[in-house]
Amino acid sequence: MKIGPINIPLKEDFSLKSILGFEKTPMNMLVAVLTLAFLAMFVVGVATYLMHGHHAYNVTREHPWGLLIAVYIFFVVSSTGFCIVGSLGDVFGFKDYMMISKRAIFGSIVTILAGFAVIAFEIGHPVTMLIYNVLSPGLTSAIWWMGTLYGIYLTFMIVEFYFLLNNNMQKARIFGLIGLLVGLAAHSNLGGVFGFLNARTISNGVFYPTYFILTAFITGIYLSFIIMGFRYKMNFDEKTKALLVGLAKIQTLLIAILMFFETWKMLTAVYGGMPNRAEVAEHIMHSGAFMYGEVLMGMLIPFTVMLLTKWRSVTTYVWTSVIGMVGIFFMRYDLVHDTQLKPLQMMKTHEYQLPPSWVEYFPSATEIMISLGGLGLCVLLYYVGTRAFNLDEEH
Amino acid sequence: MARYGMALDYKNCINCKACEVACKEENGVELGAEKHRIWVGANNPDGQWPLLDIASAAFLPSQCQHCDDAPCQEVCPTHATYYDENNVVRVDADKCILCSYCMNACPYDARYVDDRTMTVDKCTFCSDTRLARGETTTACQNTCPTKVRTFGDLDDPESEISELLRTREHFSLKSHLGTNPKLFYLT
Amino acid sequence: MSVEVSRRKFLQGSVALSVAGASAISATNLFSSEHASNKHQPTDSRIPSTITTKTGTGEAVEVATLCEMCVNKCAALARVENGVITKLNPNPMFPKSKNMLCPRGNAGIQAAYDPDRLKYPMIRTGEKGKGQFKRVTWDEAYDAILNGTDKFPGLAKILEEEKDNRSSMLFCAGEGMAEHTFKQFYQAFGSSNWLNHASLCLQTVVSGYGVTLGGYPQSDLDNAEYIIMAGANRAEAIVTPDTMDCFKRTKGRGAKLVCVDPRFTNTAAKADKWLAIKPGTDLAFVLALTYVVFTEELYNKKYVANYFNGLEDYKNSVITNKYTPEWAEKITGIKAKDIYTIAREFMMHAPKAIYYPGRRSTFATNDFQLRRAQAIFQALGGGIDTKGGLIFGKKLKLGKHEGLEPLYARAEARAVSKKDHPKKGESGYDDCAIVSGGGSWIAWRNRYLEDRMPYKVRGMFCYKHNPMMNMPNTKKTAQMLKKMDLVVTIDTMPSDTVMYADVVLPECTYLERTDPVKTFGGVEPSIAVRNKVIDPLFETKPVRDILRGLTEKISKPLFEITKKYDEDVQDELEDSDEAEVYAEFDLTLPFEGTQEEVNHHMVASVYGEEAAHKLHKDGVFYPDMDKFYKKIGANEHQYYPEKEKAYSVRGGKPKTPSGKVECNIANLASKGVDPMPVWKDEYNFKVEEGKFRLLTGRHAQFTQSGTSNNSMLHDLIMTNFIWINQRVADKKGIKFGDMIEVSSKTGSTRLKAYPTEKIGPDTLFFIHGFGEESSELTWAYKNGGNDNAVIEDVVEPVYGAAAMHETNVEIRKV
Repeated sequence: MKIGPINIPLKEDFSLKSILGFEKTPMNMLVAVLTLAFLAMFVVGVATYLMHGHHAYNVTREHPWGLLIAVYIFFVVSSTGFCIVGSLGDVFGFKDYMMISKRAIFGSIVTILAGFAVIAFEIGHPVTMLIYNVLSPGLTSAIWWMGTLYGIYLTFMIVEFYFLLNNNMQKARIFGLIGLLVGLAAHSNLGGVFGFLNARTISNGVFYPTYFILTAFITGIYLSFIIMGFRYKMNFDEKTKALLVGLAKIQTLLIAILMFFETWKMLTAVYGGMPNRAEVAEHIMHSGAFMYGEVLMGMLIPFTVMLLTKWRSVTTYVWTSVIGMVGIFFMRYDLVHDTQLKPLQMMKTHEYQLPPSWVEYFPSATEIMISLGGLGLCVLLYYVGTRAFNLDEEH
Repeated sequence: MARYGMALDYKNCINCKACEVACKEENGVELGAEKHRIWVGANNPDGQWPLLDIASAAFLPSQCQHCDDAPCQEVCPTHATYYDENNVVRVDADKCILCSYCMNACPYDARYVDDRTMTVDKCTFCSDTRLARGETTTACQNTCPTKVRTFGDLDDPESEISELLRTREHFSLKSHLGTNPKLFYLT
Repeated sequence: MSVEVSRRKFLQGSVALSVAGASAISATNLFSSEHASNKHQPTDSRIPSTITTKTGTGEAVEVATLCEMCVNKCAALARVENGVITKLNPNPMFPKSKNMLCPRGNAGIQAAYDPDRLKYPMIRTGEKGKGQFKRVTWDEAYDAILNGTDKFPGLAKILEEEKDNRSSMLFCAGEGMAEHTFKQFYQAFGSSNWLNHASLCLQTVVSGYGVTLGGYPQSDLDNAEYIIMAGANRAEAIVTPDTMDCFKRTKGRGAKLVCVDPRFTNTAAKADKWLAIKPGTDLAFVLALTYVVFTEELYNKKYVANYFNGLEDYKNSVITNKYTPEWAEKITGIKAKDIYTIAREFMMHAPKAIYYPGRRSTFATNDFQLRRAQAIFQALGGGIDTKGGLIFGKKLKLGKHEGLEPLYARAEARAVSKKDHPKKGESGYDDCAIVSGGGSWIAWRNRYLEDRMPYKVRGMFCYKHNPMMNMPNTKKTAQMLKKMDLVVTIDTMPSDTVMYADVVLPECTYLERTDPVKTFGGVEPSIAVRNKVIDPLFETKPVRDILRGLTEKISKPLFEITKKYDEDVQDELEDSDEAEVYAEFDLTLPFEGTQEEVNHHMVASVYGEEAAHKLHKDGVFYPDMDKFYKKIGANEHQYYPEKEKAYSVRGGKPKTPSGKVECNIANLASKGVDPMPVWKDEYNFKVEEGKFRLLTGRHAQFTQSGTSNNSMLHDLIMTNFIWINQRVADKKGIKFGDMIEVSSKTGSTRLKAYPTEKIGPDTLFFIHGFGEESSELTWAYKNGGNDNAVIEDVVEPVYGAAAMHETNVEIRKV
């Protein structure tokens, strides 16, 4: 397809028919039905939000950030992860990883779009944001930097993808490198959004900005396994297997580093019983979302499986990656929730209330619907992409 | 212009919440447990009946501390939160995008969402009501039965509040965070 | 999640709440403003569309008024923008309230704009107590009162049948500035049956101090160095200026405060010492303090020599009865050591020491004697009519306003029941020793129900009074109201009592009317007035206008009945012209002229025209105000210079006829009352195993049932909770918020649990005024527990007051 000087090489058979012409296996049908269901939920969720505003969410004065922020972070971390994995080949020139570059870069675009779609219904006034982001930029605000940089990042990713499609590796490399740097900057700023919260001792500091980069890489690899499994229907050729074995080894190392980080974060948080930090850390460690979600699913299961199978059982890793992604989701959810666990005002403001203790939060149906809708949107866009573009390496 | 602050002789406070109601009526604040701009904090006294710890049952009136270095202002992506000409921390509802970052960043839980404008709201020291009409004090200060509050210009050495702060020992809330609050609790 | 709901929505919403049943009224929503929007367009625009209205920066009118959210009458300045009250600010010029409005005062706006307000006159169409009414015009309502309907008889029929016994109508009223106006109607009508809040309120404390010191004194908490606050909770039951004066100086800043209360109240939180006394045993505490003072000779010898009657008798009584601190420890639970210390410290600081008199309901049957003992203890230190002690203060004069008190030959005396054969030294009445002006509400009610009346009482006029909520044993009150042939209520809200009315006359709120001007005595005396802030909303009227309309309707027809039965009148008519005789019986006379005119006259006649104008404008007036009144600082005003303050007006001399503190009153003995305060075994605190003593009380954010439907205050306390000791609750498996059923012989009520260490293991407490049954109250309907559904009707023996803390209850988690 040509638009002026821009040439977008679409697949020759790209049409509605080709989109609908997937093989009707039970698995594919399940994914299709789920995706449609999620998209329907998105519509219902957004409609509810438009009617009732934030009252449709379970966010409160003490817990202003809820599931949608977590899901947004989940998507943008995924995007950054895709970007890092995609860069291995086309930016850094690792030949083995070249075959996944185009697919990963496309994934990074799709995931960040899904993220934006979700956050648009969390930010109360997204249009105002676009205007005043430019007219009165808050340069001391991590959210301003994060948002602005992600905007730029998305542009670079699209341009990079364009050059990749046109097999212009030179230009793709330049835009890829800048995109990666902007993406990493944006992403660490997202960590900074939490790291700058001086009043929230559990989140305050250097941990989240660096942890975000690390977990982005981990997320990127989990997602790579999933999309490659999807692409090759679990029948990998030798070249792909080599790629995945490599990724699995890197992943093991990264998870080891993450576990090391997390251990020290918790140890330093608990040590000495510092108010507002130690008891929060202890509370976190007693929560199922942390122990089963983050630690078990996000780290231990994938790590142990890869270690025990000595990085050879790549089809298994597709499944452990799905588990890993559930763990990653909990990491995002916990990050948001745990930051707000401890009320900043600990006195009773009414006679007939219990003294403030841990802030409770559970997402509302609307929040869940919009979040799943984001996932549906992501899958749909990605699938349409696989039909429209050749995401495999060109020979 | 001025640098407004408030001194609170908090030991006078009897937790009657006249200030909270005066604030709501003056500024048209919505009802609802989450929607207060100012409040009085209380603790359950420590100990067991009949040997309760009177000292632990102090009442602490609180609200936006109008920090000179306000975290809420620093984190605002669109400068919706700003210092007005009297150094009062204000919110420009037109610029607020309701990202809620300020609510998370404020160490004092002083911000909430106004459901009518769907923007973040907070104590204004009655800047757009009483002070705008040329009155010299806030609704909470004026109505307080036990006269906890003194409102005034910290930059004016002749003001009553400046005199109070020169002569009475005082502390600020969470001052270790470097927020430089302009609410002073007299001891 | 509480969302701002537009007031309009509320008004529409109340359509759904509209009275049920009767098809005749289905088209008429009596409680909503439906009709206001159709018929009275301007009325509607005067109601703000949201609950709170942000004040503007444009044009506004400021009107000086007095608050009526409780009994204190603090001065307020109402801000009115486009006909809507947007803010109530404190009026700094009033020495009594000293530039303050409490939460209720601030929430007064919500009383005026309460969507549930009574809006139109109504008459009953359904079964009594079901709240089924139809809207009528004022004239129809007056006519129904005179002539009745098919559902109830009117005054004409009742008086005809009772042969002009005017006392066949009961008159009752709550406290308020216009209570006087209503009382004039009662006096002109000629009934002897008047019941007011006193016997449910401060009867025993006022009388106890009255007979002992000659008057109920005020407390100079601004200068006291030592304060014992027992059974009073000034941090929550706000009284001006006491609350403001007291807590500025506690916590080591000039005044030492000893709080004696079974509960850890907000006052306890501000005290230097809190003594958790067993309920109802304060008298033993005071007697032990007195014992220490007598045995250690700590009293002010000079004062005692000059101003005491019967000191030796009392001293003998206290000492020979061995009211030692050790004795009191067993009864009160307060350590003997503490009692010694407090007695000594009090007398060391005296006369700048105050045993705070308090002004509350009667809690225990010994309350009258407790107040006597307190007054005597206070006087022993010489702290009477002196700076830093109890003071009588000065009161500014007001001009006279003529009332009307005709004599009806057929009107019977007050319906009290005398004992058939009283023994020597026994009270002459069945109910209590002394019948005061305000009567004994519960004794009267119970006798009425038991048909123990000397004659038939057929109906009642009830003004600003809610007997259904305000006195123990709600069931009996409901029976009484049902038994009455004609119940006329004048009120602002569809209260539980209004639901039992035959005719409902809607009064406007205090912000919509001018009330009789009032003089406020004290150290810094002044005169203050409640000015009308806005015109009455809907079809409501001030009680004065209501009574003018009513008396215009009924005066002549009722006089015809008098003519028929009253021999004195018949005699008079033989000698004189009918018009001349009627003039004495013209019920409309007290209500001639506007309240503004009357007020102006009452002030101008004493202080001149200019003073009257000044009072109207500023809301406050006292001589030399221009000279004396000054703003000193953000939180301080001078009303009188120090040397002009009326700390001492009698040189310390009590106001009793003898000019002495009366310790031993023989006259009481003749009525079967102890002449001196003594302890009796029956006063002991007794709670059976598994039961609890139920306490009731106040809170700074509510005034009884009168404010229970205020949306703003409801926002501060959504409902009342029952206090139960934390450890007892743990043992019973009761957690915060669990629903608890409280029951006694009288009845039961349900409310949520509040386990706390602020109360002892054998007592329970909840705030009075919640749990109304009137479905027309959006916020108050079935919200929380009603204490009076549970409290037993125990009659205090001296004045027949309701003793509120004499009920033991059981609880059950439901």
